[in-house]
Amino acid sequence: MTRLTSLPTTTGRALLAGIAVLSALPSQAAELGAADETIQMAMLEWTGNNISTQIAGRILEKAGYKVEYVTAGNFPQFSGLSDGTLDASVEIWMMNVGDVYPKALESGLIENIGTLGLRSREGWIYTKATAEACPGLPDWHALMEPACVAALATPDTLPNGRFLDYPADWGARSANMLADNAMPYTAIPAGSEGAMVAELRAAAAGNTPLLMTFWEPHFVLADVEVGWVDMPPCDQANLERCIVPPPVDKVVWAGMKDKWPAAYGILTDFRMDTDQQQQMMLAVSEKGESLQAVADKWIAENEAVWRPWVDANVK
Amino acid sequence: MASPLFRWLLLFLFCLALVLASPFLPWLAAFPQGWTLPLADVLNTWALPVFDILQGPGRALAAGLDLPLRGLRAALEWLPWPALAGIVVLLALRASGWQLAVVAIIAQAGIVAGGYWPQAMNTLAIVLMSLPPAVLIGFALGAAAHRWPRIEPATVAALDVMQTLPAFAYLIPLLILFGFGPAPGLVAGVVFAVPPMVRNTILGLARVPAEVVEAAQMCGATSGQLFWLAKVPAARSQLLVGVNQTVMASLSMVIIVAVIGGFNDIGWEVLSAMRGAELGRSLMSGLVIVAMAILLDRITLGFASPGRTTILGQKKFRIAFGAFVIAGVVTRLILPEVTFLPDALGRNLARSIDATLMDFVVATGPFFAALRDGLNYGLMLPLRIGLLGAATPTVWGFTLMPWMIAAYAIVFAGGAFILWRRTPTLAIAILFVGLALATGITRFPWPGVVAMALVAAWASGGPRLFAMTSGALGLIIFGGLWAAFTQSAYLTALAVVLCVLIGGALGLLAAENDRASAILRPINDALQTMPQFVFLIPALMLFRVGEFTALIAIMLYAIVPPMRYVEHGLRNVSPALVEAAVQMGATRSQLLWQVKLPLARPVIRLGINQTIMAAISMLVIAALVGTRDLGQQVFIALGKADLGLGLVAGFAIALLALIADRLLRD
Repeated sequence: MTRLTSLPTTTGRALLAGIAVLSALPSQAAELGAADETIQMAMLEWTGNNISTQIAGRILEKAGYKVEYVTAGNFPQFSGLSDGTLDASVEIWMMNVGDVYPKALESGLIENIGTLGLRSREGWIYTKATAEACPGLPDWHALMEPACVAALATPDTLPNGRFLDYPADWGARSANMLADNAMPYTAIPAGSEGAMVAELRAAAAGNTPLLMTFWEPHFVLADVEVGWVDMPPCDQANLERCIVPPPVDKVVWAGMKDKWPAAYGILTDFRMDTDQQQQMMLAVSEKGESLQAVADKWIAENEAVWRPWVDANVK
Repeated sequence: MASPLFRWLLLFLFCLALVLASPFLPWLAAFPQGWTLPLADVLNTWALPVFDILQGPGRALAAGLDLPLRGLRAALEWLPWPALAGIVVLLALRASGWQLAVVAIIAQAGIVAGGYWPQAMNTLAIVLMSLPPAVLIGFALGAAAHRWPRIEPATVAALDVMQTLPAFAYLIPLLILFGFGPAPGLVAGVVFAVPPMVRNTILGLARVPAEVVEAAQMCGATSGQLFWLAKVPAARSQLLVGVNQTVMASLSMVIIVAVIGGFNDIGWEVLSAMRGAELGRSLMSGLVIVAMAILLDRITLGFASPGRTTILGQKKFRIAFGAFVIAGVVTRLILPEVTFLPDALGRNLARSIDATLMDFVVATGPFFAALRDGLNYGLMLPLRIGLLGAATPTVWGFTLMPWMIAAYAIVFAGGAFILWRRTPTLAIAILFVGLALATGITRFPWPGVVAMALVAAWASGGPRLFAMTSGALGLIIFGGLWAAFTQSAYLTALAVVLCVLIGGALGLLAAENDRASAILRPINDALQTMPQFVFLIPALMLFRVGEFTALIAIMLYAIVPPMRYVEHGLRNVSPALVEAAVQMGATRSQLLWQVKLPLARPVIRLGINQTIMAAISMLVIAALVGTRDLGQQVFIALGKADLGLGLVAGFAIALLALIADRLLRD
């Protein structure tokens, strides 16, 4: 893209951002709206999302709403959010929403109400055994050493090393970056998130080398120790060939603003602290505490955090 | 008209010419991208408006289903579990007897202890809701096919498509039509559960004894009376088997469609556990499904069996049933909040299973890695890219010399020449195998594959199968799915061959040895009813992402039919013939190889047919471990919200299964 064409877009974006800031200003107290009707909150397939959702739901309850938690698939949820069967989904990772999300957003039936505030990270991770085979890590140049490539090579990638990539429908940014930097690795698409997690767990337990693309915070990283590669350079403007921290956003049904104005405001203000979320994930997955108990505890201990969101938005 | 042998020989020469020409004509090996037609786009352009029109009625239907479904779910949730469990035990007692009642107690105790009671009840609610429409529609279609035999072939073909089209392929249309929530899952459950009811209705009505019909006609029955008062009661037992099969089909589909979410059912648990690669949770929720399947199966089958004697009379049953309901309602009214469910027991157990698996992975890692690499280098790679592709310095460590190619050609040609006199069919088969092994299944020239498939279809199924095969190949070739198809063919073929060899051997063992049979039966049951997602986790941990893991996942499911059918076939050989062979002094191995196996051939053939169907049905799930097959296309379509691509890939899979079935049936 040339500078000339990108200029109007940038201005437009700045304008939009300005409008967003204006509309997101606190103390826009509003009516509860249809408080006797239940707000349907989407619970997706992973623990971190469930914690965020349960906490957001409890805050809405404190404000006087009725809330129901509905299990929803990552792609199908956009169908529910579009027609108001689901009203809000508070933790959506924008790197694996496929083409479903942009299509739904374009239709105007859903609305992105901004970041959840998680400190996210995306990049290449490696197990401890990889660090032994490739001294010099986390610098990415260490991955170019023939001994390192050989340690990561498998029958289906020979003579290249094996790089475990995201499922085929999540895009090919890592594969592009490998190619752009002439790195001798073959990207193997994982097929599913479960497949990536399973391999990571097995490689860590069996102390075998593994190089893969991944993101943080993720519940498996509470169990498994990994290193992050200092990434090779890439053109930050070209999101097809460069990995940048993925946005983690909140998305609501477009009719929410009118139906439950205060709830809409609360969810817009709602933020999640990365370290706290990681602690709670650990409590659920390692210590066996229930999701509900963990969320209740957060609400009890963090009134100073959530009370202002409620007060600012409820008239 | 050329003789069949001559025809196949000509075909071989044609393929050989193609292989020899393909280094000079690259469009022979891989179908050129530029030649494809935008089938998926066309489908999107035409189908989306249609779905938009149908959306209104679809959403209305969904809303209509939603209310009773929520009511049923709320009722099952509201009653304390001991009351519901007691009712299930009563049903087991009445359907079968003490043995099943004990099974019911143990199974339900397990569900409660695992912490999956609410999810199990939510699943039960969907299955129960899908039952009346599936049974009614199935019965009506079956009765229509019985009344007007001319529509029967079309009905059967439609049923086959309904059963073989992967559910993931029509998730997008389902979502468009019925919106988010349990309704699309319910509809998919009905679609998948109707076919067994239709088949059993047709079968049951066809089997009504002629005397019954004649007697009714002599009494002057009208055609309506003949149907409702004579035929339906006479077919009752077969109809109830249909209901039983419908319940099982609906349960298996409800699990798959849980991927949509919206109901917090047990399938959702399995899928979430798969996403986190938590074997413990996934195994436990899988076992809950097995327990539910066993209970639903045995209870409905018990009520279906004709000569049922019950130890629990109708009156006693009603009294006890009422007592449980009242006790449950009273308890709930007194103690509105108590769930009576253990909280952390199941989670702790799941975590200890995970830890055990990790220890196992660590302890056996090197062994399984060696197994994986050995089979990958020695078997899968050469099959996929051929000896010409595998015999390179990077893969096998040497370069292919012209003399090696010559020796290879001489061995296969010589073998075929020697066999030509005695068994010409085998000789031609050897020639084809030699050629396919040289190029690899995925690199075999596509015009050769097309020609072979069409000739085989014409020879064994006539014009109808020929038309179907042409349609399927057209869809694959012009839909741009040729590469994905060859990957699927390679994975399926390898899985089927290995399953038939290993499963056949195990089935043979089970037929000869009662103890082996007793051990294998529950394993078979579990492999067939456990959601296949559960197997993916340990397979991934031991064998990593890739084709080998996909192969293992496919085989774990597809190995059941050869085991079952080989055992069944061998055990049901006419005893008189076995006796005669023994009298003539046949040894045990002669008895097996020269008497039993040839006699069991039709059953074993059916088993191979079922193996192929099972392997093809696993292609979509195997895509979750990273394949490049048609199943992966279905997932890619899901991510892109590309309705057209999903349907094209889905129909390609369904048609492949149907063609394989028809080719082997005759």
